[in-house]
Amino acid sequence: MEPTYDVVWPKSALGVQHRNRAPRLDTLVGKRIGFVWDYLFRGEEIFPAIERELRNRFEGLEVVGYDSFGNIHGPEEHALVAALPAALTRYRVDAVISGNGC
Amino acid sequence: MLRASVAVESAGVPTVSLVCEGFERQAAATARGLGFDGLALAVLHGHVDSQTYDEMIASVVSTTIDQIVEGLTAESDNDQTGAAEPAALDVAATGSIDEINRIFREHGWSDGLPIVPPTRDRVEAFLLPSGHDPWRVIGPARPSGRDISVWSVAVNGVMAGCRADDLPVLLAVAEVLADPHYGVEHSGNTTGADALIVLNGEIIKDLGFNHGPGALRDGSPANTTIARWLRLFLRNVCGFTAEEHDKATFGNSSRVVLAEDEVALAEIGWSPFCADFGFVSGEDAVTVARMNSGLIVGSVFGSTPRDMIPYLADGLARVTGWDLTHVYGLGQGHYRPLLILSPIIARVFGRAGWSKDDVREALFEHARIPAWKFEKLIGEWSNLTTGRRKLHELAADGLVPKAFAESDDPNRLVPIVTSSDKFLIAVAGDPNRMNAYVMSHDGPHGDWTSKRIDRSYSNDLVCRVEAPSRT
Repeated sequence: MEPTYDVVWPKSALGVQHRNRAPRLDTLVGKRIGFVWDYLFRGEEIFPAIERELRNRFEGLEVVGYDSFGNIHGPEEHALVAALPAALTRYRVDAVISGNGC
Repeated sequence: MLRASVAVESAGVPTVSLVCEGFERQAAATARGLGFDGLALAVLHGHVDSQTYDEMIASVVSTTIDQIVEGLTAESDNDQTGAAEPAALDVAATGSIDEINRIFREHGWSDGLPIVPPTRDRVEAFLLPSGHDPWRVIGPARPSGRDISVWSVAVNGVMAGCRADDLPVLLAVAEVLADPHYGVEHSGNTTGADALIVLNGEIIKDLGFNHGPGALRDGSPANTTIARWLRLFLRNVCGFTAEEHDKATFGNSSRVVLAEDEVALAEIGWSPFCADFGFVSGEDAVTVARMNSGLIVGSVFGSTPRDMIPYLADGLARVTGWDLTHVYGLGQGHYRPLLILSPIIARVFGRAGWSKDDVREALFEHARIPAWKFEKLIGEWSNLTTGRRKLHELAADGLVPKAFAESDDPNRLVPIVTSSDKFLIAVAGDPNRMNAYVMSHDGPHGDWTSKRIDRSYSNDLVCRVEAPSRT
């Protein structure tokens, strides 16, 4: 008779607490949108196109450019990501478009 | 990028994250590992690097913009806590050895090779000699959000075929994975670099690691099973499977543990590899980094350092390509390639009175490429560094050292690292063969990180394993 084995699970417990998303906006009209970029994958071409299109669609929409937040994917990632909440307050940002994961 | 989005959402500001097609699943898994199910995504059609400007922008305007607007304005049910998972001591599967292996393959819990069934008895026996508390959490496993627990280290150690005596090495590597400097969360990035463990100390002799002929080849159980454990641990605990966080285009999964020839080092008078990271000769230590490419520098000919340096430097230059974005750009100043010398080559340097630093200085002068090629590699042939700026312009702005701007001649030769101490040198392999090996490095996406191996009895575990209070 071949032996059988009772084995344990090779993964481990989730150590993060589940959090809910921030509330969404009712409209983008008159809102201030922050662009947060990892300085990869043609963001310097994509973000200006997004800005043009959003401004065309939503009156009074303003943009805070990615230079205001720095490269959030390089060696300074940890520090810059930690600094984001304060930067959002400083620039009075209502919503963020973050890119690019490719 | 998802990590930035989560920081923003945590601050109460809504986000939408731009991802290329094919990255939606990884993005969702990464967000989940950070505690957010249902982070809003907007998809860039195809891959932007293969499109003309007009194609790319037309797609953004026709499709992506609508997803951006929806992501920022539409509420969704994001309370997706998922199915309950087994607790650590639960029986996750029962069966014969063939059935257990089939179940593990089907669930993506194995690397495809047969595993040793991780029964509770085996895992406890693996832990008991070192006395570690199985429920101690070493740190967070990024990007999965799971705990790096001693128990999970041991379970995967049993599966890989490791011995109980190997546990202190596994725990030291687990500490590397938990260290933010290492950057384990990048282990699934597209270029597919895989981790190399370099081992130093008395433990090499005590546990029978191979540092001689066939170094870096499987066959020696200690070197092979510990490297296998690392891949299993990255898969099962950190979440690097194709279904979750692994977006490697190609893998390099055969990096068995590199143990240094410390006898040869002592004879030459060179310090061990780990000394570059603050350890002293004789200390047991692991040093880990993710390496992109490897290249043999075969049949090195010469009886003096000056004979050998040009060929070794040429190998380092040839193995270095897009990785230069870790000299300027993506990984600014973090590029540290590895040169592995066979002992007989190292002895030629030692006999001539050269220190490791002398070798590094010579490599810095000789391992060079034309400036035009450097510029194309980081900003034209690849597109990881925007702006297509010239090296002499970057040097003028203080972004690269002056050595990169001795003139503005595009044919001038420039270094492949920012300073000579960026070159790392190890000694291993057949003691009587004239060969070297070079590896390129993935910068901050698996940066060189060293930890002491603690082989003392822990005294944490004073009785049989009991269930943890939280699993």
